[in-house]
Amino acid sequence: MISVRDLWKVYGPRAERIVGAPEADLPRSQLEAQHGNVVAMREVSLDIAPGEVFVVMGLSGSGKSTLIRCITRLIEPTAGKVFIEGQDVTAADDDQLLKIRRHKVSMVFQHFGLLPHRTLLDNVGFGLELRGVDKKERRERADRTLALVGLPGMGEYKPHQLSGGQQQRVGLARALATDPDIMLFDEPFSALDPLIRREMQDEIVRLRRELGKTMMFITHDLQEALRLGDRIAIMRDGRFVQVGTPAEVVLEPADEYVANFVRDVPRSHIVPVDAVMAPPSDGPFAGEVSADTKVRDVVALVARSELPVRVVRDGMTVGSIDRVGVLSVIAGEDH
Amino acid sequence: MAAVSVETLPEQESAAVVDARRNRRNVAFGVFALLAVLAVVIEHEVPGWLDLDIQQRAQAAYKWTITNRQTSPLFTLFLEPVGNVLQWMFDVVMNVLEFLKWPGLVALTGAIGWRTGGLRAGIGGASAMLGVGMISNWDHAMITLAIMLVAVFIALVLGIPLGIWTSRSDRAERVVRILLDTAQVLPIFVYFSPVQVFFGIKVPPAIVVTVIYALPPAVRLTNLGLRNVPVVMNEVGESFGANSWQQLLKVQLPVARKAILLGLNQVIMMAFGVVVLASLLGTGDLGQDVLNALQKQKVGEAAAAGLGIVLLAISLDRITTGDRKHQFSRWSNLVPKVSRQAGQRIAVGLVAVVVLLAHVFDWTTFPSWLTIDVAAPINDAVTWVQDNFHDITQAISDFLVTNVIDPIYKFLLWLPWFLVVVAIAFIGFLSKGWRLATGVGLCMVLTAALGTIPGGVGRERIWDIAMNTLSQVLVAILLSVLIALPLGILAGRSDAFERFMRPFLDIAQVLPAFVYLIPVVFLFGVGRSAGVVACVIYAVPPCIRLTTLGMREVPYTPREAAISFGATGPQEMRMVQLPLARKSILLGINQTLMMVLATVIIAALIGAGGLGLVAYEATAKPNIKLGQGVTGGLAIVLLAIMLDRITQAWGTSKQGGNHQ
Repeated sequence: MISVRDLWKVYGPRAERIVGAPEADLPRSQLEAQHGNVVAMREVSLDIAPGEVFVVMGLSGSGKSTLIRCITRLIEPTAGKVFIEGQDVTAADDDQLLKIRRHKVSMVFQHFGLLPHRTLLDNVGFGLELRGVDKKERRERADRTLALVGLPGMGEYKPHQLSGGQQQRVGLARALATDPDIMLFDEPFSALDPLIRREMQDEIVRLRRELGKTMMFITHDLQEALRLGDRIAIMRDGRFVQVGTPAEVVLEPADEYVANFVRDVPRSHIVPVDAVMAPPSDGPFAGEVSADTKVRDVVALVARSELPVRVVRDGMTVGSIDRVGVLSVIAGEDH
Repeated sequence: MAAVSVETLPEQESAAVVDARRNRRNVAFGVFALLAVLAVVIEHEVPGWLDLDIQQRAQAAYKWTITNRQTSPLFTLFLEPVGNVLQWMFDVVMNVLEFLKWPGLVALTGAIGWRTGGLRAGIGGASAMLGVGMISNWDHAMITLAIMLVAVFIALVLGIPLGIWTSRSDRAERVVRILLDTAQVLPIFVYFSPVQVFFGIKVPPAIVVTVIYALPPAVRLTNLGLRNVPVVMNEVGESFGANSWQQLLKVQLPVARKAILLGLNQVIMMAFGVVVLASLLGTGDLGQDVLNALQKQKVGEAAAAGLGIVLLAISLDRITTGDRKHQFSRWSNLVPKVSRQAGQRIAVGLVAVVVLLAHVFDWTTFPSWLTIDVAAPINDAVTWVQDNFHDITQAISDFLVTNVIDPIYKFLLWLPWFLVVVAIAFIGFLSKGWRLATGVGLCMVLTAALGTIPGGVGRERIWDIAMNTLSQVLVAILLSVLIALPLGILAGRSDAFERFMRPFLDIAQVLPAFVYLIPVVFLFGVGRSAGVVACVIYAVPPCIRLTTLGMREVPYTPREAAISFGATGPQEMRMVQLPLARKSILLGINQTLMMVLATVIIAALIGAGGLGLVAYEATAKPNIKLGQGVTGGLAIVLLAIMLDRITQAWGTSKQGGNHQ
């Protein structure tokens, strides 16, 4: 759905000559002092499958916001290629680029970016308006989309009358209203307080289940990344240091940096039972769980009984896990 | 280790830089010392050969325009049509105002005020408008209003596109800003002679002059409003595929709308301050009433017309400030709340009914039973004050002239002319560096090269007249700063004092400089000290305001840090707040200086003499004196640029030669 090949963003004079050159490896302050350049992002490649949620995680200044803006060229990449559904975005002319932005991709912003002079209905219908959809239809669609994100009948309100969480629901609705295949999220929930943030994450999980959009999601919050991501890319100093499933990132951190990050994550929340189960035994069993169940969700079953729990995939018994197996994951002994 | 070497490197460099700078400085001081010696050795008077003969050239150009007005395409194809369009627009507005008749205009003012700023603004605006008719000549006020409205309309039509353009191109912004800033800084008399050449007399040139001053705020606020649109808004538009036009019309302009509308108020007030002075071109409006009365020393009549101007200004200010914070005052609780559309319909209906009534009952002229004669009581008061306080004001006035203004003036005249040039160039060098030094030095040499004009006895040198004006400016700015700075600093530290000062400052901000001449004439008669006092009265309020603003802009965190280390209040002020506010205060002084200069120039109207008189005298008799007007105007331009650039350098850079 989205493919990115060797994408670079270098700021400063004659930025192209830095790409791939030895200068790019200079320390940040030295490069800036000597050439006036700053490397914001380097050699990023990724592939996102249809329907996948791809999370990019990193601290501020790691280049993740640059990356997501390069996808639709809100920021012009210095080198590299971006493909959306096979179309080369980096080679697109102005008309093609407008078409991509109007029909294929939409974005949700960190500080919501609602237009203060418009009602919610006109905010949500903004993308359709740019596309030239007539007023009646876009208001209908905006109304339906507002209901979808849990704000039915609030179309005539103005953004300033809403709470932060509600405003971001409108931001979400605006991105959904154009019915894009791909949605980009730029730290959409980082300005919200923790309870509301959790609620909005649930909303994403629900929308994803119901609508099956492809999503690229930027965050600096590891918990958020682990909850939402099918795969997570960890970014540091403008490059990917690891790309993998939540379990891979937590269980096999690529380097010290990632390890430090994930150190406090409870493994049992991440690790599925099939990663730690024993070969199938004959029983009897205390119960039955599917193979992708997280270890912590088996705790209740094994706590009630001495017997192991049967692990099933597609109706077949593939293994078993008992109290010792569960406890060793929780104690972090198996790795 | 690497970190250490990185940190020491710049220090070594800066030692070398400091050395080089000290060398350059010594060289510079040497150069200036040599020039000063040269100045003393050569002729002390401006030499006769240094004369660009601007007067004759300008007079010849004017003769050419008179003889070629009918034939030259410059006139037949451009200037005349422009002048005709301006006259036509003025006529249209006058017709509308006449159609509304006075009750209709009062109702319209109220309605606009109510819809934009709430009930209180509406009532305030309407009563002020009614007051204009009660106190001064309604018909003359309508001329003032019509010229202003046309000028504001043109300023917006030109200014908003220019503002959009400058918001999208940094280079365009720089160029346009320098042009407009310079145009706005120049005192109004400078423009009188040129616009007379191009547009004749009365209304069209008055509109052109007003547009010159009203345009800069229109451009600046559109530009600023658009540039302040948050980045995320622009990204939203872009990310959903807005093209350039959609981005402007659907995102940027709507988001910037409030800031731009706030600018409208500034555009109107700026235009208003100018329009009453443009009456000198013979428009027959309220400004001219003031002027005529002033020249006949009829203070009461001048004050009546002046009050009319003040009320008109207040009325316009009220209905265009759009200040919604007063909306929830006790006034608004008396009327039921209405929706926006309903409110608009009610407002339009109300105005229509009033206009209809005005037509049915033929309320054309402002009824005499509504007018109040303020001239007579003011004249009585003037007589009384003059009888009782004449000795005191005369003493102050004499003291100012003999002990302050005259010594400075005579000293400037006594100095060898080139020494003055060198001294000003040296100040320029200390303020910013070589470029400024050359620039301001050149300004002064050019002033010397403007030659002579016919004077009281024989011919007078422009240089000498410029020194007269300069001495008045120096005294006025010194007095203004001495009064305003302590008050401003106090208001910057004490909330209570700021609250106390605010109403005075608010009113002072609305009044045009012209109005201040009236009470001054009433107390001090005419002459140079009256002019200086008018300048001080006009310049002190904005100087207080800007100083206060500079003090209050200082972030609280460093001040808090100082207090936490045990700084006393005065210590914190001296060591933290004042140093941090220094630049903004100096920029405030720059603005104050330019206001002082503008007022010194128009104080020619009350006998302060100087360059203002040279320029202003010519407007009445362009046939024989236009050359003199242009010469005087140029001298004012040169003086203004010199003063502006030097003081602006104080507020923007730290010291000479420091480019960091």
